[in-house]
Amino acid sequence: MKIKTQLRYHARPLLAALLVAVTALAAYAALAPRPAPVGVAATDVPFYRLPFGPDDTGQERLFWPSRIRSASGAFSDPTRLPSAADCASCHQQEFHEWAGSLHAIADRDLIYEATVDANVDSVRNPEQGRFCEGCHAPNEMLTGRVNRFVSVQPADALTEGVTCITCHTAIHAQPETGNGAITLAYNRAEYDQDGLTNAALLANPRDHLAAYGAPDTTALMKSSDLCGACHVEIYDHSMSKARSPQVAQSTFLEWRDSWYGQQGVTCQACHMADDPAAQVMAIRNGDLSGPKRFSHRFVGANHLLTDTGMGDTLDVLRGGALPGVSRDLNRDTLTEQARQTEALLRAAAGLELRDQQRRGDTLHLAVAVQNLGAGHNLPTGVNDQKHMWLELTLTDAQGRTLYRSGGPDEAETVAWIEHFQDSKGRRITDHLTFSTAEVNWVRRPIPAKGEDVATYDIPLDGAAQGPLHLTARLEYRVALPDLLYRNLRREMAVPPFTLAELSTDLTDNQP
Amino acid sequence: MRRTLLCLTPVLLLAAQPGFAATESEGLAQVKAFTLEHNAALVANAQKMQGSAEAYAALIAAHGGDYKAAWEAEGPKLAEAVTAMRDQWLAASNEYETIEGIVAGIPSTAKYDLILDAGNPGTEEEDVAEYDLTLPDGTVLKRPGSLFHSITEPLLWGTDKEHVKLDADLNGDGQIGPGELLFDANLALGAAQGMVEWSKALETDMAAWEPNRDDAFTAVVTMTPTVGDYFGEWKESQFLGGEGEAFIARSRLIDVLGIMGGCQRMYNQAISPVVSTDDAALDGSITKGFDELIALVTETRDREAKGDKFTAEEADALGSEAQDIAERIVAQVLQAAAKHGVEIKG
Repeated sequence: MKIKTQLRYHARPLLAALLVAVTALAAYAALAPRPAPVGVAATDVPFYRLPFGPDDTGQERLFWPSRIRSASGAFSDPTRLPSAADCASCHQQEFHEWAGSLHAIADRDLIYEATVDANVDSVRNPEQGRFCEGCHAPNEMLTGRVNRFVSVQPADALTEGVTCITCHTAIHAQPETGNGAITLAYNRAEYDQDGLTNAALLANPRDHLAAYGAPDTTALMKSSDLCGACHVEIYDHSMSKARSPQVAQSTFLEWRDSWYGQQGVTCQACHMADDPAAQVMAIRNGDLSGPKRFSHRFVGANHLLTDTGMGDTLDVLRGGALPGVSRDLNRDTLTEQARQTEALLRAAAGLELRDQQRRGDTLHLAVAVQNLGAGHNLPTGVNDQKHMWLELTLTDAQGRTLYRSGGPDEAETVAWIEHFQDSKGRRITDHLTFSTAEVNWVRRPIPAKGEDVATYDIPLDGAAQGPLHLTARLEYRVALPDLLYRNLRREMAVPPFTLAELSTDLTDNQP
Repeated sequence: MRRTLLCLTPVLLLAAQPGFAATESEGLAQVKAFTLEHNAALVANAQKMQGSAEAYAALIAAHGGDYKAAWEAEGPKLAEAVTAMRDQWLAASNEYETIEGIVAGIPSTAKYDLILDAGNPGTEEEDVAEYDLTLPDGTVLKRPGSLFHSITEPLLWGTDKEHVKLDADLNGDGQIGPGELLFDANLALGAAQGMVEWSKALETDMAAWEPNRDDAFTAVVTMTPTVGDYFGEWKESQFLGGEGEAFIARSRLIDVLGIMGGCQRMYNQAISPVVSTDDAALDGSITKGFDELIALVTETRDREAKGDKFTAEEADALGSEAQDIAERIVAQVLQAAAKHGVEIKG
């Protein structure tokens, strides 16, 4: 009875409040500013050029020869694309991790920039640079800034390479096709930017979730397909001198055909693990459970652009400070990035002495180079630059060097490297992609869980005294010095990184 | 030489602070008049240099082409001729750099920039200076590169080792320092004649140029973004410890000031009257951008003149900063161009 009485007592004010609320909502719906239409028509980007013409179906190819696509078919307004620094107002840890990554500087690092310039200059066609920028600078591409005459204003988000919105709006990828075959729904980011931002997002998180956590995007972000769209690179006549398709980078394909691909161990499982090296070691030990936490460091093999020992030179090579990144944050995140990069590299490879035989005056050695922890070939990536080689030193009991293998550039050195060649068969050492006609491996890379046995027949003179001692080092270098010298005009050493070492006495074969 | 440089810098700085014109046609006319004025000074200095080269060649010829004998007999006169050629080269180069941003940006005169100042030899694949140089002895140099920086600067200052004929104590201090040498008289005279010929040809075409809006916009949007490249050349030059043969006579930064000053002049005088009519904010933003760009280069040059040493890293960082400003300017100028139906050539 009491309840009924109270209800009767409060019914009128409750009804009045309900009426006010409904009226207010209706008024808001009627009067609230409509979100501005998103996207910029191609014809509204002044002086944007399409020198490659339409595709076979007559459709304009806004970004050709990159295969990147805009989901809306239009360009985006740079003022409506959030930078990673904007996202950092809530997602601080992710931002701090990303700031040290190679993704963050994909469009900023000076070596890359100088190499794109050199490529573009070689064909006198700035629009051909879209082939590179589709993967390295998706924001610049999708706003129409990769063009002979750049009429679109720069913005913070455009100075970042592969940034938050790149992956978090991706809706489709074709990893077998590669060359940037990814579709980005930047229109979602533009819509979201018109709504609530920062802490106010908490009042209505659904719009934000719809922009960056849509089911199609979420599914793609869990898949290696997303990575494959850019980590497969195939040169053809549309952007190089190749008469037949030349596979320059096949990391996704290597993974797909490997034990890791078959077991469903994705790219993200290792490269986005909170501790990538520990994750790799766990997998090596048979533990296929994924990482407990995913990180945004995207740790890889570039030990040069994370080498904090270079001091200010590193900051300059990385293209200066990212928006929203303080000097302290930069130092801290790069220190951690370097630590994780080195640890991951060390978890990838191993060396084993497989055979040692005395054959008259010659010592026969067989050294197995093992891919123990990489879910793709070793080395992988663009291997005209990223290469590895084996360094062998044989000493006798007096410490006298009986044999030392040469450096990476000597013909007899066991080295895993691709040679880019121009149409006259001359080697290209400075990554002039657009001049490349053929891509040939000097020695095939080592597949995941595979090995390559290098053999040596070392002549021994009569003076050698046992026990003999063998040292072997598997060295890795992320770029040829020629790349920096020719494109960046810097004569600077590119230090190698030792992936694995072997040191042993050859007790079975005493002179 | 240092005194000459210090004298030249203020001249360039003054040239780089152009005023605004009341109307577009008035501004275009001012740009053309400015260019012709400096073109005439370029011709005059090239002619003086040719005179000095003739005197130098005559002294060598009088000794049967024996540089050692000529030096022993006519050392002071030869030293004087070398010094005169260098001073006249600097004066001529100064005049050209002041108008390079305009000359190189106007489609009908751009080829002269390659021939006089910026072109590569025919051995390169791009930006080749398309001309042949005939020397007094009848030798024809096929597409030898730009007259200022591929031929005469390395020749006069001795970084072109192939044409050094004799190390000589030009300043008479009892020692032979860097750049104290006699060079090939045949090449010096031929190149000086070439400078006169081509700077006159530029003058003829510049006089015939009918100033127009399309060319003005084209000049600004094609030349302003080249600033980063010039910083790259500065980094490679001997001013920063590099080994480049060119840009040794004076800092490349002085050239940058001249070139960017020319772009600013073209904007302020010929384009600003157009943009400001319907978008004062855009005009103000572009004007401010040019001021920032010139200020950055000026400040860097001032530091260098005071003796600051720059590392390659600093040069790269400054170049990036200048390039960012330039790209911001150009994006805005292109927006204005689109608004006004301008055709950008190139």
